[in-house]
Amino acid sequence: MNIDVHERARNLIALAGPEALPGADETWLAAHMKACEACRAFAENAHETILALRAIPIAADRSLVSTTQMRVRRRALELHRHRERLWLVSVSCTAVTLGALLSAVALWRGFAWVGAQAQLAPAVWQVGFIVFCLTPALVAGVLLLARDTHLADHTGSYEG
Amino acid sequence: MNATACYFESAMAQESTEIARGLRRRDPDLLDRLIEQYQHRLLRYLVHLTGRRELAEDLFQETWIRVLERGHQFDDRYTFSTWLFAVARNLTIDHMRRKQPASLNGLLNDDDAPLDVPATGQASAFDMTLRREQNEQIAAGMRHLPAEYREALVLRFQEGMSLEEIAGVARVPLGTVKSRIYRGLSALEPWLKGAPL
Repeated sequence: MNIDVHERARNLIALAGPEALPGADETWLAAHMKACEACRAFAENAHETILALRAIPIAADRSLVSTTQMRVRRRALELHRHRERLWLVSVSCTAVTLGALLSAVALWRGFAWVGAQAQLAPAVWQVGFIVFCLTPALVAGVLLLARDTHLADHTGSYEG
Repeated sequence: MNATACYFESAMAQESTEIARGLRRRDPDLLDRLIEQYQHRLLRYLVHLTGRRELAEDLFQETWIRVLERGHQFDDRYTFSTWLFAVARNLTIDHMRRKQPASLNGLLNDDDAPLDVPATGQASAFDMTLRREQNEQIAAGMRHLPAEYREALVLRFQEGMSLEEIAGVARVPLGTVKSRIYRGLSALEPWLKGAPL
């Protein structure tokens, strides 16, 4: 008998598990086992090994399970709060954007009306409009730079 | 396929769908139930994979946190256990890589670390002693196997997974799974009769 035959038989023995072997393989293996004592011994040992493997008793402690459940619940709550905060920030951003758009249109019209009343060239009131819109951001930027704290932490080093 | 098989298959598919729906909602009650249901199987897998009970318990907790955070990624076409073990495996590999750059191949081999095998209860005298000795020898043999063989053996013979499911968890071809099972089982054979020299 050639060595590949035994190798094939042992492979089939090792792989026989929850699913049944294909019919042809099963028939071949049964015939081979009848004739080969070494493979029969391998099958017996494999069976014993699998039984011993299944009998290794590893069980989770009650405390591990309850700690895990508690941690999972706590994390679920954190994620839920985070999602709520994210939703609030999204709504606020949308409201601010809409408000800014509407007020920009209203301001544009206001500047145009003032420009017409004062008989100013369009370029003049348009520059005025741009300066008016940018002023708050410029003032805030200057103030933050003046305080020199917007990027620095307590020790004066920069955060990444 | 017969009617019973059809019934079980559709029941499993329905269960997977319900789990997927609950995981998308991050339903804590569902997670409590799943932790209860898979506690022993997951811990057993992790203990065999890492070879260390303490580390396995840490990873057990991290796995469930990850299940909560990434639950929306669970595809209900697969069984939950396959996905759960894959999550646990990835976490284990991440942990090992952080500890020392290596793959699962280098996952242990700490011969001094005992695989935590508590003594079994009941049964009687001689048979029980013999059986327990055999179990201890196999547990010792497992400790000396490469992690990928241990993983394949545990998933196959303790979890009763199909070869395809194991290939899915370990993300290796089917042929590799077959060879790992065969080699793992062959390597354990001498341990059945006592520790090899």
